[in-house]
Amino acid sequence: MNHVVTLTGVTKRYGELTALDDVSLGFPRGRFVAVMGPSGSGKSTLIQCAAALDLPTSGSVVIGGVDVGTLNETKRTILRREHIGFVFQSYNLLPAISVEENLTLSLRLAGKRPDRPWITELVERVGLQDHLRRRPAELSGGQQQRAAIVRALAARPDVIFADEPTGALDLRSASQVLDLLRSLVDDLGQTVVMVTHDPAAAARAHDALVMADGRLVDVLPEPTADDLAARLTGLAKRPAFGGAQ
Amino acid sequence: MIRTALAMSGLGGLVVAFFAVFGGMALVTGTGVIIESGLRSSITDQRLTGADVLVSAPQSHWEPESLPIGLPERAVVPAKLIDDLTALPGVATATGDVTFPTALLSAAPGTTRAGATGETSGTRAAGGAPDTTSAARTGRGTLETGEHGAKTVNGASDATLAAAASTSAAQTGEHGAKAVTGPSASAAPTAKVVGGTGHGWASVALVRGAKVIGSAPRAADEVAVSAAHAVRRGTDVEVVAAGKRAVYRVTAIVDTPGAPALWFADRTAAELAGRTGGPRAGTVDLIGLRAAPGTGPGALAEAVERRLGDDYVVSTGSAKGDAESPGTAAARSMLIALPTSIGGISLLIVGFVVGGGISLSITRQRRELALLRAAGATPRQVRGLVAVQGMTAALAALLPGAAAGYALAGWFGELLVHLGMLPERMPLSYSPLPAVAAALLLLGVVRVSAWATSLPASRMPAVSAVRESAAEPRTPSSVRYRSGLLLIGASLLLATPPLYIRGEIAVVGPGTAALVSVIGLALAGPRLVQGATGLLARRLPAHVPAPLWLAVSNTRGYALRTAGAIAALGMAVTLTTSISLSHTTVMRATDEETAEILKADAVVTAPAYGGIPDGLMDDVRRLPGVTAAVATSTTTILTSPFGDGGLQAQPAAVLGPDAGAVVDLGVTGGSLADLKGAAVAVDDRSGDVGDRRTLVLGDGAEVKARVVATYSRVLGLGPVVLSRDLVAGHTTTGLDSTVLVRGDAPLDRLTGHWPGLGIAADSDSPQAGRTSSQLWINVAVLGVLLGYVLVSVANRLVATTAARGPELTAIKRLGATPRQLTAMIRWEALLIALTASLAGLAMSAVPLVLLGIGFLGRPWPAGPLWLVPAAVAVVCVVVWLAFDLTARRLIRRA
Repeated sequence: MNHVVTLTGVTKRYGELTALDDVSLGFPRGRFVAVMGPSGSGKSTLIQCAAALDLPTSGSVVIGGVDVGTLNETKRTILRREHIGFVFQSYNLLPAISVEENLTLSLRLAGKRPDRPWITELVERVGLQDHLRRRPAELSGGQQQRAAIVRALAARPDVIFADEPTGALDLRSASQVLDLLRSLVDDLGQTVVMVTHDPAAAARAHDALVMADGRLVDVLPEPTADDLAARLTGLAKRPAFGGAQ
Repeated sequence: MIRTALAMSGLGGLVVAFFAVFGGMALVTGTGVIIESGLRSSITDQRLTGADVLVSAPQSHWEPESLPIGLPERAVVPAKLIDDLTALPGVATATGDVTFPTALLSAAPGTTRAGATGETSGTRAAGGAPDTTSAARTGRGTLETGEHGAKTVNGASDATLAAAASTSAAQTGEHGAKAVTGPSASAAPTAKVVGGTGHGWASVALVRGAKVIGSAPRAADEVAVSAAHAVRRGTDVEVVAAGKRAVYRVTAIVDTPGAPALWFADRTAAELAGRTGGPRAGTVDLIGLRAAPGTGPGALAEAVERRLGDDYVVSTGSAKGDAESPGTAAARSMLIALPTSIGGISLLIVGFVVGGGISLSITRQRRELALLRAAGATPRQVRGLVAVQGMTAALAALLPGAAAGYALAGWFGELLVHLGMLPERMPLSYSPLPAVAAALLLLGVVRVSAWATSLPASRMPAVSAVRESAAEPRTPSSVRYRSGLLLIGASLLLATPPLYIRGEIAVVGPGTAALVSVIGLALAGPRLVQGATGLLARRLPAHVPAPLWLAVSNTRGYALRTAGAIAALGMAVTLTTSISLSHTTVMRATDEETAEILKADAVVTAPAYGGIPDGLMDDVRRLPGVTAAVATSTTTILTSPFGDGGLQAQPAAVLGPDAGAVVDLGVTGGSLADLKGAAVAVDDRSGDVGDRRTLVLGDGAEVKARVVATYSRVLGLGPVVLSRDLVAGHTTTGLDSTVLVRGDAPLDRLTGHWPGLGIAADSDSPQAGRTSSQLWINVAVLGVLLGYVLVSVANRLVATTAARGPELTAIKRLGATPRQLTAMIRWEALLIALTASLAGLAMSAVPLVLLGIGFLGRPWPAGPLWLVPAAVAVVCVVVWLAFDLTARRLIRRA
């Protein structure tokens, strides 16, 4: 199968609350997938489980042929380092070190030598070559998020998960970040999974998954912003909508 | 408002502030109790309980614009005042009283009986010599011992007596009353000696409730004894009174509470006390007044004060105890002097810790404060909110802190008594005053530091406030950095005195230098930490483990956060090493020089007799093998050590012209053989032979003396040595305290005739006893201060570490394993502990090296050098515990 990450019957409960309810799906290689849904639909939980940042209550997550549930904390971390890059809404750059040091931090933690030409290429692609010596706080939000994307790509992961990567950005910066993510998929064959609540952002993806109440309710290939907006509005009116794919 | 403030603060920051204020309150209250006791406490036990009013000479030396200096040697009152006071309306009787040391020997091996003069006279008749010098303060020394045998009242600022190593043990008989058996008592197992005080018979009238069985001693060979001595009426007893040995017949038993005492015929007492001739002719120690019926003690005291003016001290009630014991004022001076020397350090530390705690709790809320600003709070409101938080934590800590402070003071008082620096019967006085003062002081510190820390946060524009708060690392200010460097530079200058001043005062420099450099370190710390870790980061090999690399980067990036802890821990290391080691260095140098000065092979003391009795010297010299024997004693003089006119009490050795046989001071000019008449020998750096000096002696008398010798070895006996003739009449006992013996002699034989002697093989200098008790006090105070600093630093580290949850989560999400996170935290702990230790050692290194060069002729201080690794180890353990235990939970949760 050509899925980078496969989820089978994944359920995640936080006490009484069911965030994910028996979700099964696979993320295909080389695609830009957007995960959409209203607040509380479970989309963030979905990619945290898919990225092995969190463990499901039941069901299995398979990354690179390995069932995440069988691994301890350390082994899961190592698996993540090898296969997954993550981009956070709040960038998660460490303020104490320079931008350049932030880019290679994950590699350093993995004990790997950074692939300098690759990183240089990425840095030039996102236009940060003049800002490497600065502290993250000296960069704009868009620049910080682009740096975070370079960091996620530095180890050549199989897939990049991005959790609301444009959530804290202005329209222009958000657009640049989305362009960047799309170009990574189109030019470099990277797999990207992005959570967003913004239909316009999701419209830049190849496919859009729509979630509601912890379930996957729709898959829209080559979505347009209008389609997605309409779909979301519908969901908001009918919160009890059930039935998976 | 208050609710918002408390809801926002979070517990962590407030807990830090609470403990800082709690400890600060305890320290300041404790210090306050000591100071207040120095001003107000009085001795409890009184002998002259029947007197309504006591008149005595002042036991303090007053200089304009400074605290009075207590005088440990008895200052006397002219006896002719007795007539004046008797004539005063409201006075029923006025009685003169003298005190001198006595020792009652248990067996009477039949020596000559005291020469019977047969004459009995009241104290009123004592001597005719007019009061030659006008000022009462020039009163001549009188005899008084036992009570608070000079030893017990020596102190940080005025050691009095204390000569041989064995003395301290033997003299601990607090009331001079215990049967003192010398180390060699076994040589004459039957002989026993009981120390006590001697007085004139007339003063029995001043003892309330004294039951007299028998008849008053009238002849010169008659004596009345207190029941405590347990001898029968009519028996002959052998007594050494004021150093004179004679046999007396007991004519009366006086049943009184209190210490053993002997009463002689008044004329005899005056003779023994040296009041019938010589420098103290016609004086008494005190005059006790009984009020006529219908006159209260208070009214009587007022009348006496009006009559006598300011030249005398008129005491009633509990203050009478002070008049009886001349050392009390000296002990009180010591109580005041102690905190002023260590109080500076503790106040500094309290300010440091409390300020740090408050600023930490505010820094933790920068983001919230910024949001408040964004939500429309004025800068003033933000500052108010911060103030409310600080005040709440402080108020909660005040009461428990004050309670701890009183306990601390009590403990410290016991230590002082134990060290013999405070009379046991002089309790500390406890009142709410120190707690109130401490509370005001601490609330002030809290208010100011809260204001100072919140100023920048409250003033920045609301929007940038939110932005900046998101990025915690800030650049330390360069003004702060430069003033810090300036202070560190200044401290180097302060550390130089040992190079050109010899003597104990030289230590003041290094001590101050350490303090100043610690403040400098706190100011320059953030930049220094940034610089040092930046250098380290650049030098690190490319492939060090990621956790180590992260730890270095974090320490550098959060320099402000880490530097606070580093400065506080560095301060702990600096204070420990510099204070302790500079004292041990001076002690070592003093010991070494004393060994060079004193060529004695043995030292004889006679604590039970109140000093070296007449005849003992001859007995010593007659022993086979004795090549030389020299009597010496120690008194107190007031000198101006810094040459600025500010007087300080200092112990000074008393020697006769024969001293050269045993004492080698390294004479560079003149000769010790000229120590006759009003003569002194001085440090050759402070004067030349032929100079004239004006000195204030231990009883407050101002005397003029000629410099007859100069010497180079100033550490052992101090910078001034007095001639015996000069101090005659200006000491309490009038006796020498020590005989320095040269030659291999069977000194044990002496104890057959003189039971209770202290015989020691080696000798200590008078300065040594003083240095070591100061060392103990320093160790005790340091211990408390360090405990306070370490607990509050640990608190701060726990609070800052606990706030790092999000950071740890972020790093973990970037691919750090739990093990890597733990390693990172441990590396950080190690880095902070080592940086703090290095900084602390560096701050104390220069003063200690200079001190070593100046005092020991080598560039390192005297041990115990294990203090250095021990201090480092303690710092490491504290940091490691604070980091590891807190981070462990966070990492599990991250």
